[in-house]
Amino acid sequence: MTQIIIQGLLLSGLYALIAMGFTLIFSIGRILNLAYGTYLLIGGYVYFYFSQMLGMPKLVGVLLAVIVGAAMGLAKYRMIVKPLKGDHVTIPIATLILAVVLQSGVILVFGDSSKILLPIVPGVERVAGATIPFSNLLAAVASWAILISLYFFINKTHTGRAMQAVSMDAKGAAVSGIDSDRINMITWGISGGLGALAGVFFASYTQLTPSMWVAPLIISVAIVIVGGIGSIVGTLIVAHIIGFMEIIVTALIAPELRGVFTMVLIIGVLVIRPQGLFGREEI
Amino acid sequence: MGLRWYHFALWAGFIILMYAMPDLVSKGTLRTFIFANFLAIFAISWDVLSGRTGYISFGHPFLIGIGAYTTAILTKRFDVAIEISIPIAVVVTMIGSTLFILPALRIRGSYFALVTLAFMELIYQLVQVIRPDLTGGTRGMSGIETLTRGAVNGYYMSLSLMLAVAISMWLLMRTRVGTALSAIGMNEDSVQGSGLSTTRLKLFAFLTGAFVAGLGGAFYVHYLGSIAPRALFDINFVFTIIVAALIGGSSTIIGPMVGAFFLTYLLEYLRPFLPGAERYFIYGGIALIIYIYQPKGIYAVVMQAWERLRSGKSA
Amino acid sequence: MTVLRNSAALLGAMALMATAASAEIKVGFIGSLSSDTGLSTLRGAEMAIDELNASGGVLGQQIVLVKADTGEDVTEGVKAYEFLAETEEVDFIISGSIDDVSLGWMPRMQEFQIPTLDTWTSYVGIIDMIVEDYDSMRPYFMNIASDEALATLYIDFGKDVLKEKMGWDSVIILAEDTAFGGALTGLVTEALAPNAGIEVVDIISYDITTNDFAPLFAKAEASGADFIYLVSSVNSQVVSSQYVKLQVPMGMTGVNVAALGQEFWEDTGGAGGGISTLSPVPSIGFALDPVNAAFLERYQARYDTRPSVPHFNGYNAYHGLKQAMAAAEEAGGFELDAWVPAMEKQDSVFKKDGEMWLRWGWWGNDEIEPRTGRTYPHNVRFDITEPYDDGAPSMVVIQWYEDGTNAVVYPDKFKTGEFVLPSWVKK
Repeated sequence: MTQIIIQGLLLSGLYALIAMGFTLIFSIGRILNLAYGTYLLIGGYVYFYFSQMLGMPKLVGVLLAVIVGAAMGLAKYRMIVKPLKGDHVTIPIATLILAVVLQSGVILVFGDSSKILLPIVPGVERVAGATIPFSNLLAAVASWAILISLYFFINKTHTGRAMQAVSMDAKGAAVSGIDSDRINMITWGISGGLGALAGVFFASYTQLTPSMWVAPLIISVAIVIVGGIGSIVGTLIVAHIIGFMEIIVTALIAPELRGVFTMVLIIGVLVIRPQGLFGREEI
Repeated sequence: MGLRWYHFALWAGFIILMYAMPDLVSKGTLRTFIFANFLAIFAISWDVLSGRTGYISFGHPFLIGIGAYTTAILTKRFDVAIEISIPIAVVVTMIGSTLFILPALRIRGSYFALVTLAFMELIYQLVQVIRPDLTGGTRGMSGIETLTRGAVNGYYMSLSLMLAVAISMWLLMRTRVGTALSAIGMNEDSVQGSGLSTTRLKLFAFLTGAFVAGLGGAFYVHYLGSIAPRALFDINFVFTIIVAALIGGSSTIIGPMVGAFFLTYLLEYLRPFLPGAERYFIYGGIALIIYIYQPKGIYAVVMQAWERLRSGKSA
Repeated sequence: MTVLRNSAALLGAMALMATAASAEIKVGFIGSLSSDTGLSTLRGAEMAIDELNASGGVLGQQIVLVKADTGEDVTEGVKAYEFLAETEEVDFIISGSIDDVSLGWMPRMQEFQIPTLDTWTSYVGIIDMIVEDYDSMRPYFMNIASDEALATLYIDFGKDVLKEKMGWDSVIILAEDTAFGGALTGLVTEALAPNAGIEVVDIISYDITTNDFAPLFAKAEASGADFIYLVSSVNSQVVSSQYVKLQVPMGMTGVNVAALGQEFWEDTGGAGGGISTLSPVPSIGFALDPVNAAFLERYQARYDTRPSVPHFNGYNAYHGLKQAMAAAEEAGGFELDAWVPAMEKQDSVFKKDGEMWLRWGWWGNDEIEPRTGRTYPHNVRFDITEPYDDGAPSMVVIQWYEDGTNAVVYPDKFKTGEFVLPSWVKK
């Protein structure tokens, strides 16, 4: 039991971090950024390149990954989202094309074979039959810390409240003098940085492969559908529901059905409560 | 329906050209045409379901896959004749599409796109886990009965199917129902306001799209002779279908056809020069540039140029 | 950089093509151009072709190579095969495809009837297709021992090493939920208890996209089994590196496709110590006979990108291509009625210190392999019974040590090191 709780908390923390950047963009203007997973992809490879291939300090590698991720977010906003005026049909498609281009770009530079990241902090601790690698613990703690600071940033700072205002009513926000372009830039930058950071952690959990953008995208999609559009707290809770469900299915029910349960949960929620468990009423 | 003489002339010219193709090009090129024909069918089907109504589906392989797997399992495992298994596959696909319809009645926009993506992921997982003795599990199935042998026969088969689909969809979209479907894509509320049942219209669009997808999927698997979940329920496959429909020009019939041929040829002609992953990089890059430049696609670009030419002449 | 290098190579290749004579033998390569698997086959074939061309070609003609990339995608594989068959009209195809890609283009092989040699996939289901329908499958050859032989060797390893040397009595099987995992698990589960005296406590089948193996390892530990038998062909790095990162306190061996290449150490950042796996021969750590050692040396002098040591299929491609061309020489071309019997007769034996070491020959079409009691037409001749003097060993067991070196640990004849447990496992 303790095992399941420990493993569940570790995995859920990671999932929450993965989904957060995606939710942020989705709440602002309902923009479906299907290239979200490529922040994780590029973030992971940037970290790998600098810290594992060039041997720079790990912290520098993480920072560079975050910077590149944020820059990608800004570039995506300026070059795709803005020219297409936030359109619901064209943006998901343009970002999907972008994701495929970036994937083949990574194959060109690094090749097809998958790579394993060294643990950011080596070593393990055994608690009540569960093994806790320090690296995973760091990932979980870091994602909690980041999510809490993000919560305060959005609810307590001027910029954060402006982000909320834009997400609820872009026109209204513009009338009250909020520069929505600036807010959008900030949001896309944060989203990209978070995604790249999540990529470093996700890759050190699993592996680096050119197709690793798909799995995090699916996880984020699941969390947004089940949680609904909106709050950070909702994302956090649903990340834990999905994380724990995966651990419980794997440990107690049938490991080969891990993915099926998540998808069944999604469809169940859709039928019963299409706006999601914590979503706002309007969709 | 507003049919004009030049419509018939254009279609007739096109059909004659296409049927003469085996005498004009090499067998290798014909094979490329076959893939382009199938892609055109999938793109038309996607366009009927999503391009017109604005309900963007990212799970189109879900429908194609149902059709393909149904007929593959029936013929391979139960020795059902192809003439019977394909109609069954089409019906099963249409029934499967009702799963798409349920959420579409309640949600719109990006949210619907997310849900369809989840559907594709679900069936991908299920096909591998549930009854692998039937589906072939992760390896899929090989040695499925094929309808034709040789490039020329395969070409005529795929071409006839593609033309039948294209012409019937073209005619259908010129009826009042077709116009109403496009109206949903523009403004669903006003369609409702004008007294039409949007639910029925959406149902109609989804069933028609599923019909074409199931038909295309079933013929496709009997052309390939093999099926694998990794190739079918793949985000890259979604990508190819949607991009073909949109690069060519959504809400037209000619658009998805143009897009399918353009993309398939782009990819194949790059092969001798760039055999590796570079091909996809360039292919995706070109698609992205065209798409950002003109989201309405090649069709719109050509039409604009044509208009400009005409007004230039008359002035 | 890679792009530049590739384009340079491309220009070179195009220049070559322009100068090539019109009468030529065309060989098609089908496989991924960006994976170690595909590149091993491609390079083995390139080296064989260059050697043959240098000594006057085949049937008095020079050989040219045409590449078709599959990107390990099944549909791309079908297109690639069609491209080779119809646009390029090749005489012979050499493949470094993975299982489902080969199955994908197989109907095209049956249609075009082009002599085709597979060097990587070991799926016995394809050999079954040859047994059932020889006429349409006869152009096809597979020069890697099929996966049944893999399972059989593992049973012997279980008996000789795991049971007798390590004293292990029970195992928990951790297998991926794929066709490969299912087939191998079935074979091993059935035979392990009666033949090796090792009890199978439980079988865990996991989803190949599993991110987190902690609960599975916890379950394995709780089962009380002495060791874990892993079957993993997809995303194998994930499970093996998590085994190391989590320092799972029990032994693990089995099939781990990721550990087959020399780059495994680099790719896992050193988190690969203690991992052992079955591998087709010649594997890394394998003591080579003089001929193959010279091949490896020339390979390393010629290619400076990964894989730095060709995987087993690089050797298969090198010898297989030469055999196919020798068969064409004998048969006067690639006409199937003459070429297939000539190919079936090919037999290359390599000796080391006077003993048979490696062999690329074929099973007779009706010949029954004594241990498994079945036929393997057009499958490479393998030997799974000591003293391994009839064919190449089907497989060997290799192990990665914690200092980054590797060795063959079983069978005894080919051994270059000892099977050991990782340092964190206390027994």
